[in-house]
Amino acid sequence: MEHSSLAGRVFRGVALALVLVFFMFPIVWIFLMSFQSNEQILRIPPRILFEPTLFNYQALISGQLRTTAGNLEISFMRNLMNSFVLSSAAVLLALLLGVPAAYAFARFKFRLGETIAFTLLSFRFAPPLLVLLPLSLYYQQLGLNDTYFGIVWVYQLIALPLILWIVRGYFEDISPDIEHAYRLAGHSWREAFTRIAVPLAGPGIAAAGLLSFIFCWNNFVFALILASADKQPVTVGALAFVTASGIQYGQIAAAIVLSVTPTLLLALYAQRYLVEGLSLGAVKG
Amino acid sequence: MLELENVDKVYRSRGKPPVHAVRALDMEVGKGEIVALLGSSGCGKTSTLRMIAGFEDVTSGSIALDNRRIEALPPARRKVAMAFEGYSLYPPLTVRENIGFALKAQQLSRGEVTRRVDAIAGLVEIEDILDAYPRAISGGQQQRVSLARALVRDADLYLLDEPMGQLEPQLRAVLRGRIKGLLAERGMTAIFVTHDQTEASALADRIAVMEDGILQQFASEKELKNRPANLFVASFIGEPPMNLLETEVARADGGFRLSVGSAMAFLIPGDRLDSTAQQALQQTPRVRVGIRPQKVAVGSGDVRVRIVSNQWLGDQSHVAGECAGNFLIAVTAGRVAARPGDVISFGLEPRHLHIFGTEGTCIRHAEVR
Amino acid sequence: MARLELSSVGKAFGAVSCAADLSLAVEPGEIVAVFGPSGSGKTVLLRMIAGMFEPDEGDILVGGHSIVGAPPERLGIGMAFQNFALFPHMTARANIASGLRARGAGADVSAKVQSISHLLKIEHVLDHSPRELSNGQKQRTALARALIGNPEVLLLDDPLRNVDAKLRYEMRLELPTLLRRGSASVLYVTQDYREAMAIADRIAVLIEGRLVQVARPEEIYARPATVAVARLFGDPSINLAEVVPVAERGVLFADISGTRVRLDTADHQPMDLGACWVGVRPDDLVISQVASGDAIPARVVAVTPMHEKAVLLLRFTDGTEWLAALPPSATVADDDVFVRFAPEASLLFDRATGVRIGLPHRRQAA
Repeated sequence: MEHSSLAGRVFRGVALALVLVFFMFPIVWIFLMSFQSNEQILRIPPRILFEPTLFNYQALISGQLRTTAGNLEISFMRNLMNSFVLSSAAVLLALLLGVPAAYAFARFKFRLGETIAFTLLSFRFAPPLLVLLPLSLYYQQLGLNDTYFGIVWVYQLIALPLILWIVRGYFEDISPDIEHAYRLAGHSWREAFTRIAVPLAGPGIAAAGLLSFIFCWNNFVFALILASADKQPVTVGALAFVTASGIQYGQIAAAIVLSVTPTLLLALYAQRYLVEGLSLGAVKG
Repeated sequence: MLELENVDKVYRSRGKPPVHAVRALDMEVGKGEIVALLGSSGCGKTSTLRMIAGFEDVTSGSIALDNRRIEALPPARRKVAMAFEGYSLYPPLTVRENIGFALKAQQLSRGEVTRRVDAIAGLVEIEDILDAYPRAISGGQQQRVSLARALVRDADLYLLDEPMGQLEPQLRAVLRGRIKGLLAERGMTAIFVTHDQTEASALADRIAVMEDGILQQFASEKELKNRPANLFVASFIGEPPMNLLETEVARADGGFRLSVGSAMAFLIPGDRLDSTAQQALQQTPRVRVGIRPQKVAVGSGDVRVRIVSNQWLGDQSHVAGECAGNFLIAVTAGRVAARPGDVISFGLEPRHLHIFGTEGTCIRHAEVR
Repeated sequence: MARLELSSVGKAFGAVSCAADLSLAVEPGEIVAVFGPSGSGKTVLLRMIAGMFEPDEGDILVGGHSIVGAPPERLGIGMAFQNFALFPHMTARANIASGLRARGAGADVSAKVQSISHLLKIEHVLDHSPRELSNGQKQRTALARALIGNPEVLLLDDPLRNVDAKLRYEMRLELPTLLRRGSASVLYVTQDYREAMAIADRIAVLIEGRLVQVARPEEIYARPATVAVARLFGDPSINLAEVVPVAERGVLFADISGTRVRLDTADHQPMDLGACWVGVRPDDLVISQVASGDAIPARVVAVTPMHEKAVLLLRFTDGTEWLAALPPSATVADDDVFVRFAPEASLLFDRATGVRIGLPHRRQAA
């Protein structure tokens, strides 16, 4: 109903504000924490007003953390780099494998097709810990333990099913007639795939890529077990802030802000593609 | 019976200019009348129906049913029955339960419900699917169930949204007749929305032609065809559409000569025009004339046309011809022996011409024999 | 240019047969309409020719060579789809040109696009993307794309289904000329019998995966092969009554709602035919207010004007409902009327098989 009473509108506004505060509070709080020293953070009662400091960020970027217990080496920048390399490589590989597979599942009905597709998705259901032990044993024997390739490979467990299922849906939404028309116009099926299907499923592919990037970025347990210090991503690297002299809340907050920023920026950038969706103007609306 | 007075509907959505879907609509529907709201998509016909049903607020104006104001009442209290374009059948109920749903709510006895459902099911030929579920039947059958569900109720007013668009072609004509017969026999008042003028003229006593949210003309089918209010109605009503020609006006022996270049000329005697029409013609250098394809004579007359197409449809021929860049369509009952490229005669009699002035106002209607 | 030939084509999806023993030849320059109710297998037939499905049985030949199994891009077939199937991320121009570029037409691409779009009156929207086009423009673009390469075979899958009535009518007038332009063999699928009659040289009536009749439009209208075909052609559709005709002194009579009515028998030896359907088109009924021995008494249930005619729903005393289409000038004042028809206007069909019982001379339509 477009005509609502004033009271109704006020109530709606208040309700929305409450929900917003509830969801945003932790993020805002962490953002504020990242500009405070440990002492300021642990003060009771906490204060909204404080003197901001860039100390936490300095420490992270320089890799040197001076605490009362002495100097601590942190490799946060290295971790950030690792996260980036591992996640990007994993998503790229997953797209390369997953998009054609998704197309096959969407367009061709073959024996056991549904079963295979479901099996791939079911990898997402299994608790990672269940596969970790056998996996690390295999990796040790294969010499994949503590290699970038090994970790990227295991990240496929996260990225591939996601891409497969999301992109498959997008392919199914494209009228096969559009591809038929392109083929009748004299193009091979490969051209129909690369020039028609992939561009039209573009927004879906971008969405799936972004989502799986975030999932890979946030992964903790695979990297914890399979990678040593120099190949660990930020999620594992953050453990370093739990030190003998206490927990470095300020640095943790700053690390979180820095590690969330890339995915956040990526999401903001990709938003317009995601919203654009599949508006196939050529098919009757 | 039903009165709409100065009804407006404006859709406002943030960030977009408001859409004025219905403008200052005045309409009166009599008891027992069948009225069609006819127009192309986006003309405001569905908004109007939904405002009467109560699914849309009225932005301004009033709606009265049997002298009670209903525009602020919720749909359930307006005593209207509606058939929806998308059918909206209840999926977990059988066809029989769907049709009898509202009757049960009225606390009619089981025997009475069964009797009424059977009667209406016979009328729309769904007796054999009464125990099926909606998803198991075809689109045409779903539409017939939806119609039955609306018509079986006791209501002051029946609202039907595109009621017959999906019906099987062989059934359509018979069902139109039966439903019109039922409505007339029971004295039911009905308003239906359609974009199909064949359906509108078949079912309705009066047709409301809408365009751009404005009611263009509200009259019987005959009146719409013989005395269209403006150029829009003239060209919208009629299948195939009216032939239109751009003509130049000149005075000639007490009358007017309307000429299309040097190819065609029509002489309209002064005594066949009333004074307002004479005045309008004197002031307008160029007018549009229209002639219904059914009034164009084939094989006789003084307009030479080159045949573009000649199509026999079993009961009538549609012949399209071209004359000095003007396209003319003629419809006759018999077959025409002409092939594309042939040159034959078309006859356009001045008395069959509708004349329209600038901005589509009607200057003169064709004479009805 | 090459002839399109289907020879005993059959196709089933699982247990559902979509095409059975279809044989049909389309000559270069000829337009054959494939007409039938929805679900009769029209689209499957077209798609088999376009190489999207392979037939289970039979062969499809273009210019005498089998095309079964060939990839679509090698077929040289132009096709227009019901849902237009334009490439949404390309302009109208790129859509139309897509076929030419692939076949290496080279320099004259833009000239060809220009000339075909002039013919279809879409020059002004060539740089628009499909979503900016109206449905009519989309269909014209799709047609341009199908026509531009001068394909040997043109397939049109109900191309006017999704355009509004006015445009559909215009296109109905224009299409035959456009489609004949390149002397292609044209197969045109439609669900609208008027469209089929208007556009096609011959109509192939497809019912439940079988070709029931293939003939010229006027032939099908006047001499439908079966009662099902008769019902598909004509709006309002043909009136039917169950009868058991009886021959008496060289004349065939039938009882319709208690009235003895004479049926056409002109040049064949009348005999008892068993259970039949008698069919009379609504246009052939004559309504009068005066009773006579051979007129069927009826009540007028409703008058529904359509197509510039007054259509009357008549109910006979035995409950049979017939429709009569009268000229618009006819006025029916009374509710009780009497219905007659000329004997030669009646069609007889065997009730068991639905096949028309041959009355070879059948009236020539006008």
